[in-house]
Amino acid sequence: MKRVILPLLLGVFLLILQTTWLRFFPIHRIRPDILLIFTLYLGISFQPVSGGILAFLMGYLMDLFSGNALGFYALSRPLVFFAAQFFRERFYLEGFYSKFLFAFIYAVLEGLLIFLLMNALHPTPLGGLYPLLFTFLLPQSFFTALVTPPLFFLFQMGSSFLFRQPEKGIMEKV
Amino acid sequence: MRIRGFFLFRRFGLPAFIVLLLLFALVLMSLRAKQRGGVEFFDALLMEICSPFQKATTLTVKTVQGTFRQYVFLVNLEKENRVLKQKIAELQEENHRMKEMKLTNERMRQLLQFREKNSPSMIGAEVIGQDPSSWFKSVTIDKGEGDGVKKGMAVISPTGVIGQVLKTAPHYATVLLVTDYNSAIDCIVQRTRAKAILEGIGENRCQLKYLLRANEAAVGDVVVTSGLGGNFPKGLMLGEIKKIDKRGHGVFQYAELVPSVDLTQLEEVFVIMEPIPPVQPQEEKGKRGKKTKK
Repeated sequence: MKRVILPLLLGVFLLILQTTWLRFFPIHRIRPDILLIFTLYLGISFQPVSGGILAFLMGYLMDLFSGNALGFYALSRPLVFFAAQFFRERFYLEGFYSKFLFAFIYAVLEGLLIFLLMNALHPTPLGGLYPLLFTFLLPQSFFTALVTPPLFFLFQMGSSFLFRQPEKGIMEKV
Repeated sequence: MRIRGFFLFRRFGLPAFIVLLLLFALVLMSLRAKQRGGVEFFDALLMEICSPFQKATTLTVKTVQGTFRQYVFLVNLEKENRVLKQKIAELQEENHRMKEMKLTNERMRQLLQFREKNSPSMIGAEVIGQDPSSWFKSVTIDKGEGDGVKKGMAVISPTGVIGQVLKTAPHYATVLLVTDYNSAIDCIVQRTRAKAILEGIGENRCQLKYLLRANEAAVGDVVVTSGLGGNFPKGLMLGEIKKIDKRGHGVFQYAELVPSVDLTQLEEVFVIMEPIPPVQPQEEKGKRGKKTKK
């Protein structure tokens, strides 16, 4: 139980940081998505069922505090989680660059998915959104990817401190 | 049969779980689109649980920020100057606090004057959090259903319109900003009285839609609310036209607008509590419908 409750509380804490502390960032509109990084970390170290539910809850909470009325993140975050699960064995995730690339790809893909959903479900065409793919999505994904390696390191340290199984990750069974 | 069932579960359990979870998310989206009460209740409950932490974190961050501004640069001074520097720091802190109080006072006085001038049935609220996603534009305020805040109510500041209430919890609410893609407000160009719909396009900008090509509008023109629709009182400042594009064919022209309120620096806002009777001039009847988030 501890292995589900603690990550959930950490997720809520990260959400609060994202909605409060990160708004004091110098570049206001481009903020790293620390909840996406956490979801990716769940994807590479959690079991599918508990991790999937946690990713869904993270997405649900994001929707709750967001102007997004339909709940895109409750769909996109489990998808990101399962995609990360699927590719975790196929990705070499040891160095800075590999983690950077891993997060960058997922951030861009999730952004594109949100963009497609917004376009598909909006009653009128959102022509003004297209420039944002370059002026917002790529820089945002870059910053998210940039903070991923240190955050992964912190999550790893935290899990080894709490669960005393650093080599097994936060959620693997003994 | 049981063994076979168990075998099937072992074999297809995970894919079935993934499909079910994603289906659940889709069903949730559909329920939200239809605005079912159950989902709203659950949303409000979770928001009520999380928002106090959000409020506390904002307060902590502001306090720490203030302390840092006052002390951090004084840490590495020479020993003989320490006492003196300490005094300076104390005085600076006092000065800073007084300046902050003065600024808050001025802001509050402005808010009060604005409130008395416009509508007595407004309540002040503090912004306690921002949208976790950069795709959408919203803020969380510390007033909710318990204070009389309802979905669709207008949120304004002395310098102009901020947005409208999107979700409510007993003591907190989410406000959809005018710059969000889902926001649409009926408006008029103040100088020419040309009618249009103001829609958000993110990045602290909005666009005027359905502004007839025949209507005159120029860069620098002020755009105000029309009062139609019932959420916003007539004549509230929305922003200034920054760009006009008449190229291309069609009945309408395109105009880009910068909101009068700096939506990245919001601290205190007003929620208009009383429903405003919609203005219904004769010529408006039977014309286009307005897309508004309720």
